[in-house]
Amino acid sequence: MSTSTRAPDLPLGLGDVDAVRAVALGGIALLVSAYGSVFYHFIDVTGEPALFLVVAAVTLAAATTLSSSLRLRWAAVTAVGLLAVGLTLYVLSLPRQPPVAPLVTDAIALMTGRSLLQVTNVDLWVLGVSPGPLFLTWYLGMRRRYVASVLAGGGALGFLVLTTDASNVTTLLGVVGGIVAVAVGDMDRRGDSIAAAEPLAVLLALLIVLSAFAPVVPAGPSRTADTWSSFQTGGLGGSADTVEANLVNADNQVGIAGNLSLSPDVRFRVRSDSSDYWQVGAFDRYTGDGWVRTGSRRSYDGQLDDPPGRSRTVSQTYTAVEDLRVLPAAWKPVSVGASVSDRAQVTDLDGLEVDGTVSSGEAFSVTSSVPVASAEELREAGTDYPSEVEDRHTRLPSSTPDRVAERTERITANAETPYDTARVVERWLENNKEYSLDVQRPRGNVADEFLFEMDAGYCTYFATAMVVMLRSQDIPARMAVGYTSGERVAEDEWVVRGYNAHAWVEAYFPEVGWVRFDPTPADLRRAAEQEQLSEARENNRTDVDVNDTGGPEWTPSPTATPAPLTPREDQPAQEAPGQQTIPDRITRPGGTPVSDGDPENPSVITAPANGSGASDGSGGDSSGPFDRRPPTREEATLGAIVVLGLVVGLRRTGLTGRAYRAVWLRYQPTKDPETDAERAFERLESVLAERHRPRRPGETPRQYLASIGADERAAQVATIRERARYAGRVTREEADEAVSLVDDIVGWRGA
Amino acid sequence: MTDTDTPVSGHQESTVEDVDDTQAVVSRVVDNVETVIVGHHREVEHILTALLGRGHILLEDVPGVGKTMLARAIAESFEGSFKRVQFTPDLLPSDVTGVNVFNQKTEVFEFRPGPVFANVVLGDEINRAPPKTQSALLEAMEETQVTVDGESHDLPEPFTVIATQNTVERDRTYELPMAELDRFMKKLHLGYPDTDQETEMLDRVVDHHPIDDLDSVATLEDLRAARETTAVVTAEESVREYVTRLAQFTRRHAELGVSPRGGLAVLRAAQGRAVLEGRDYVIPDDVQTEAQVVFPHRVRTSTDETTPRAVVENALESVRVE
Repeated sequence: MSTSTRAPDLPLGLGDVDAVRAVALGGIALLVSAYGSVFYHFIDVTGEPALFLVVAAVTLAAATTLSSSLRLRWAAVTAVGLLAVGLTLYVLSLPRQPPVAPLVTDAIALMTGRSLLQVTNVDLWVLGVSPGPLFLTWYLGMRRRYVASVLAGGGALGFLVLTTDASNVTTLLGVVGGIVAVAVGDMDRRGDSIAAAEPLAVLLALLIVLSAFAPVVPAGPSRTADTWSSFQTGGLGGSADTVEANLVNADNQVGIAGNLSLSPDVRFRVRSDSSDYWQVGAFDRYTGDGWVRTGSRRSYDGQLDDPPGRSRTVSQTYTAVEDLRVLPAAWKPVSVGASVSDRAQVTDLDGLEVDGTVSSGEAFSVTSSVPVASAEELREAGTDYPSEVEDRHTRLPSSTPDRVAERTERITANAETPYDTARVVERWLENNKEYSLDVQRPRGNVADEFLFEMDAGYCTYFATAMVVMLRSQDIPARMAVGYTSGERVAEDEWVVRGYNAHAWVEAYFPEVGWVRFDPTPADLRRAAEQEQLSEARENNRTDVDVNDTGGPEWTPSPTATPAPLTPREDQPAQEAPGQQTIPDRITRPGGTPVSDGDPENPSVITAPANGSGASDGSGGDSSGPFDRRPPTREEATLGAIVVLGLVVGLRRTGLTGRAYRAVWLRYQPTKDPETDAERAFERLESVLAERHRPRRPGETPRQYLASIGADERAAQVATIRERARYAGRVTREEADEAVSLVDDIVGWRGA
Repeated sequence: MTDTDTPVSGHQESTVEDVDDTQAVVSRVVDNVETVIVGHHREVEHILTALLGRGHILLEDVPGVGKTMLARAIAESFEGSFKRVQFTPDLLPSDVTGVNVFNQKTEVFEFRPGPVFANVVLGDEINRAPPKTQSALLEAMEETQVTVDGESHDLPEPFTVIATQNTVERDRTYELPMAELDRFMKKLHLGYPDTDQETEMLDRVVDHHPIDDLDSVATLEDLRAARETTAVVTAEESVREYVTRLAQFTRRHAELGVSPRGGLAVLRAAQGRAVLEGRDYVIPDDVQTEAQVVFPHRVRTSTDETTPRAVVENALESVRVE
């Protein structure tokens, strides 16, 4: 239905109708931009945003143009066709042509909480998929089929909610847009005036405010408890962890995710040929505010590939002290023992995961081929990266500020090889940023913020920044998480605690493989975290020690020290006797550091929402929807709707009007005598209207005063005003007299 | 001097003293008239404000309620000339305006002025005369001059017509067309007096009619000065706007509404009302009072559901007084 088919309205009413329609379409636009922004985010992370914007603009323009000519049925066919063509193109673009069944299971997996960012070639996916819903939503909106339009748009948004890619704020924004579109659209079809939408504005404000505060209400762990803006990914900690988590984290409902930061609890023991970092996962896709692993995982079916270059075999035997949901392994794992091989999964990045848990007391073995390369070899490795590795690991969101690359360029001006570049960046981060657990999660690009706006951070920040810096120089790099080696209790045995959780960097060198770098300054970290263990021991906690820890440290003989991979003095792998490795933690989405064991689905991590999670976990800041950071666009939009609703609500209750009137009635600034006399009379009229009745339109002041039997003071005011108004002749004294008479009449009883 | 070419308020300011003097004159006239006329105070005042605002008056009512007596009483209160014309179906225009007669002694045509040459002209039962004769009078009202055989003769100043119209005899009468009704500033209805008033009237006139003893209480000069004072009474913009909105309201709610000339007429009458009440500025109350008699005969309604009077009442109730 276009405007021309509607019954012609009076010229006066037309403005109202258009306003209603504009608001209804605004609701649709809000909904479209809600899921459009998620699409845009995908594209921003992986591809060319400009292309997406062009596609979206063309789609919307086509929908607008066709809305008047294309019939509904054909529009639906068009939308479905667009979707089908887009998906087909996407599937054809995949490097390996997957059979149909896994595609379907993947699609279902997506809807059970896997981020779309894990999808390979997500940019093509978005370009293929987005035009369909965009077209349909906007077309229906333009056709005044608001409900259908909201269903279409809501479907798209709902899918993104299921894939956990739409944040709470985005979702709320879309929901608000949908409600506005349906409700106001209904008014549009009925031809109501926009004033009828006032209750709606109040309700929306209420809805937003309630949803903002609902997470604060202790109702168990909830993903909505995340800060509004943080990227919502991943699941919660397993049930085995939440009890402890809730106990310690009771003050803070934000992002409960298993066992705690800096927990001195022992997670597992490992017997190994050599000390190493026990990696549990790696991430290739940087989203600007977090990390995602792309690709799907497959079941472990025997020996994995060795790294491309020289390597030495390291056999490890892990014994779970608590239930484990991960399979730690020194990089690069090539095989796992029979006890877990049926449960083991291999990620697209060749890491190991476990389907289920490794129960407390259970033991399993892992064999790794650890790349061996001297600094010289790494320097000479060159830049002849396999294209698959390069494509996947040098990509940065296009929204990454240029200054990151510029700063890196400057720092590494003298470095001639990727290896030198990596070392310089590593050292620069170590020397220029402080280690601190107490940081405010930055808004925007984490790496950029850490480099330019923050003085301190912890492992996740250091590792993220370094990966981004390396990628800005076209060096393939990725983020790895896992555990540092732990407390060495025997020549070939280490005890790994919760606080050993760590995040580091792996860079790729041709003919060598992934090589570890750790930009986090170790000394400060150890000092901070050593306290945890001591405290726990002083408190006579029994779970922080196993029978052979805590005693005199095992002193390694010089030969027992494994050759460091990236040789350097303070490498945590080379701890001096008497020192404990108390590394950082890796962090879970939502800002609570994750500990060992818990990432049952660690394929996505985000930069921590805040680093305040000291051992008490309460942190005390940024737990609610409102923290001290400037609001995002979404939050600002929602805030504006809230304010609008409040204003409308107040107006409807008449509070603002009454408050204004009370002041207006009593306070009269002095201007020229005519104005003063006029204003005095207005005040008089106003107060008389309240006490008797308002003056009727055709009633002259004299008739009015006579009719209500007003007293002489009122008559005098009216006379003065009459002279001021109709004779244009009033003196200052008369005006003042009128004002003071009215002051007298109004008193404090007025209104 | 016509209704349309005189500014409502001139540059010369009327002083409060002028207004007081005028008010005194008007009060004297009112008192004088009321020695003869019992009741009808409101109509007396209306006639006087019309005189002050240079308007002519049409009295319309059934016979015998004192229309002619009232007109006479007012005319006699001024010391100027007063003529009465009884309109009949056979009255000719020259019977009103006057005629050129050949003086055989001087052998030239001489103009013999008709009854219209007076300061106050009472035109009785104007609707009984044929249209041609009616328009002779109405032209004289409009032009304040009379043209006979191509020669113009100025009417005296001040010049006021008080016409009466009978509403009983509908046959053999010539209803005044709207365009000519418009020339009268006001159309007044006297109505029957109430019992007390009627009794008192009988008491007064039963043996000797007081009209015969009525003296003039104001000179023509008084009247001229009063008119000058009235012409410069202040009508502020808000009042003028109010008048305009009232007129526009009637145009929206009737087949034929109040013309701009009607608006000007009500403003002049309101100026007279202001002087009558001793003010040198017009207030909306003045406009409202005057509009009730200035507007209705300028409004024509097409349906039976409403009357011109109702339209005007509606306008006065609906248009906001600012």
